[in-house]
Amino acid sequence: MTAHPPRLKFVSSNRRVREDRRFVVGQGRYVADIVVDEMLHVAIVPSQHPAARIVSIDTSQALTMPGVVYALTGEELAKAVDPLMNGLDTPKVRRYPLAVGQVRYAGEWVVAVVAESRAQAEDAIEKVRIEYEPLPYVIDAEEAITAASAKVHPEHGTNVLLDRTFVWGEVDRHFAESPRHLKFQVKWGRNSTVPIETFGVVAKWDPWREMLDVWASIQMPKYPDQISRALRIPANNVRVHHDVDVGGSYGVKRGIKQTVLVSHLSRIIGRPVRLIEDRLENMRAGDAHGPERLFDVEVAFNDRGIVKSMKMRALDNVGAYAGRSPFQLGKPIGAIVGPYKIESVQYRAIATLSNKAAQEAVRGFGQSPTNYAIETAIDKVAGALGLDRIEVRRRNFIRSDEFPYLIPSGTHYDSGDYHTVVDKVLRHADYDALVRERDALRASGMMAGIGIAACLEPSGGNSSFEPLLNEKNTTTTWMDSCRINIDGVGFVTVAIHTTSSGQGHETLAATVVGEVLEIDPDKIRIVRPDSLASLPSNTPVGSRMAIMMGGACYHAAQKLKSKLTQIAAHQFGVAENDAVYAQGNVTDPRSGKTLSWIDLVNIGHRQYHALPPGMDPGLETTHVMQVPTATKLPEDGRVQMYPCHSFEFHLVLVAFDPEIAKPQIRRYVIGHDCGTVINPHIVKGMTLGGIAHGLGATLLEEFVYDDEGQILTQTFMDYLLPSSHEMPDVEIVHHCTPSPFTVFGQKGSGESGYLGAPAAISGAINDAVSSLGISFSRLPIRIAAISDAIAAADKIKKG
Amino acid sequence: MKLDIGGSETIPAPVDALWVALNDPAVLIRCIPGCKSMTETSPDAYKVEMQLRVAAVGGSFEGAISLSDKDAPKSCNIQVSGSGSLGHGNGTARFDLEPEGDGTKLTYKGNGEIGGLVAGVGQRILMSVSKHLIGRFFVALRKEFEASASKGVA
Repeated sequence: MTAHPPRLKFVSSNRRVREDRRFVVGQGRYVADIVVDEMLHVAIVPSQHPAARIVSIDTSQALTMPGVVYALTGEELAKAVDPLMNGLDTPKVRRYPLAVGQVRYAGEWVVAVVAESRAQAEDAIEKVRIEYEPLPYVIDAEEAITAASAKVHPEHGTNVLLDRTFVWGEVDRHFAESPRHLKFQVKWGRNSTVPIETFGVVAKWDPWREMLDVWASIQMPKYPDQISRALRIPANNVRVHHDVDVGGSYGVKRGIKQTVLVSHLSRIIGRPVRLIEDRLENMRAGDAHGPERLFDVEVAFNDRGIVKSMKMRALDNVGAYAGRSPFQLGKPIGAIVGPYKIESVQYRAIATLSNKAAQEAVRGFGQSPTNYAIETAIDKVAGALGLDRIEVRRRNFIRSDEFPYLIPSGTHYDSGDYHTVVDKVLRHADYDALVRERDALRASGMMAGIGIAACLEPSGGNSSFEPLLNEKNTTTTWMDSCRINIDGVGFVTVAIHTTSSGQGHETLAATVVGEVLEIDPDKIRIVRPDSLASLPSNTPVGSRMAIMMGGACYHAAQKLKSKLTQIAAHQFGVAENDAVYAQGNVTDPRSGKTLSWIDLVNIGHRQYHALPPGMDPGLETTHVMQVPTATKLPEDGRVQMYPCHSFEFHLVLVAFDPEIAKPQIRRYVIGHDCGTVINPHIVKGMTLGGIAHGLGATLLEEFVYDDEGQILTQTFMDYLLPSSHEMPDVEIVHHCTPSPFTVFGQKGSGESGYLGAPAAISGAINDAVSSLGISFSRLPIRIAAISDAIAAADKIKKG
Repeated sequence: MKLDIGGSETIPAPVDALWVALNDPAVLIRCIPGCKSMTETSPDAYKVEMQLRVAAVGGSFEGAISLSDKDAPKSCNIQVSGSGSLGHGNGTARFDLEPEGDGTKLTYKGNGEIGGLVAGVGQRILMSVSKHLIGRFFVALRKEFEASASKGVA
């Protein structure tokens, strides 16, 4: 699309991440640091039942407690606000910030108590009396989709939100013609990203200015629009402040119910209101839960291990409300064959309601579970044929000369060189030595296994899954923007139009603008105007910001460079193309004349008479960037999903004692190709964090409900996170296959590591126990599950 | 979550005396851990207020206790239900009393269901906590008779 600049000075160079300075010295400005005069605080009464009719609510005692100002019920709230937005066309699945008439999961928010301090509000919630009449409930997804199951939203008629079967290519013929088939089931447990900072929001309604000011720990697409719609106020009465640091998210900082709740409270009480979830509120009913997915996979292949066709049924338990979560079954359609040349696919996507907490977006938006299922299939194909797992992958890989490569579901993969990345990793790791190490561990009595995963990170996120899964949705853009201003003294300020949750967007924007304008990025100011002063932008989701914000900054900077060049060329009396811009100065090579940066600033800001005819004064440019490759609505169930596809190849050695069964990762090597890297530190941080996240999903993390619908994992005593004890040293092997669709050849990396780690680590454990004839098909694979399975297998062996 | 309890205890008191004690709210208030008050709402039905701590969470419960299928002085069923900031619970249990030497053997068996915060935060220790609370109940109950026995001597 755009020719790559010949030499990059700042992009890809070893430069510090500018945000890190304030974070490491404790000078971030998080939502909890926002203190507004007269601010009130909220605590929440949760439901203790998975499903129950609310018979009565008595807040009278609570209202007499010290400091208590208000107690809000769902019934009162529902009269004043509209239901929160659903992604699918499911209007009868209504969701309000507080339960209305009925609770639908244990932990659901029922009453909000407002007091002068959080402690007073917490004391008062104990005095709220709620009478419930328990109702039938359903927890299991397979049970939920049956006709006889309890209905989470009886008005909707069924628990099924989405049941769509796509057939891309000649699946039946390929299955009939293939000599070998195998099928299996794997389950991805309900887990999440679990940021250190829970969600928080401060809202202040000013009736005299008719303005709702919102400060939030947010990563929600179309957030101001959703606030406006739910509260039934004009969108230009909603001002979201983007200059709030977000203490971690990776999808889960959705915050819309919390924001509508406190905004409404502020409106009726007439004072600013703050809600910062405590860990309990967050874990059971904040936006903390990610996909929980059952896969039934069948593949058709030949004796060489070439996979011709795949049938996949993905059943996702989205919990008690709809939201955007069913779309997490749609996004993986853009990489449904992984890095492989699978010619045809049948994909059945089912999203079901249940009496669990509502699911929200989590890093990868459903891609990591799907990658786990695909990679398990490839391992099983190799196992069935007695072939080497890496060799089977190589045989199925798309070759580097086949890009752009059209997959059956309608997406063109931009670029890649999978074979080379694998070669580099095997060379770096000395694969033969790794196999010897595994075998030596086995000989010493340990269980040891090697895990392998090759997978893609679709990036540059637009939202093509929305029109694909909801016909009423006609979205074909998911733009991002940048505005650059050179002030009258000659300093450069770049405006970006979103919050960041640790992705280093200020570093990204400064690096790109500095690169194009050939000026020191450290001298560029980055600001985040509030939402009313912002250009059209979307939130940093879908691994998109290097591509989209980076692209917007690039194009805005090019426009500015062009303007400066035109101003100088006009003074020189030459065409723009004959003047040469270098490091902020413009030269006419023929006459040898040069105009410096300061000269150009002077003309732009003060000397209208010297500007080229028709040029506006000032030195300011904007660019609103369309997602590359996104041009049209889906056709025949096919769509170009994301523009870019990063590749990662994981190689892991795991060992454990057969009785203690605590997996220890002895070696972790990842080959990573995300095209041109803009800042190596950011990409490295993403990859390491992503592997830790994937390690948690594989071995430790799960939101568990018991058979009675109670959530058992509400604190970090029971929801286990990986720590430095579990996390290995990770060796990263870089490769760069530039994307032809982006300004520097960059691709996304915000989900790197996480997208393949679960497949790789679970594969290593299955390799370790394969000699016992057992395998694990459910994540997380807990220590107890491993030791129990080994003990059971030993028992059978000994007879 | 579901909870099953059961066991037997020997109390140093005759069957009749134990029966009377177990039907006396004043005794029960002293013996039930955390019990603050117990008000009779109808024959064999009581409203109770309790203050309890389980693991990291503590709070107050309001509940109801009722006795049924009484076969004095041998057996009765007890129904308990309650809710509070900690969570909610309900259960039923059966008590059987039979003479054993100078005392009485009390056998109990029951099951319950617990929800809310206590089920989640306390689940891993709920079994041992319930055993502990039952243990405290019987320790206190035995003390009742030891106290009256020593009074008797004096």
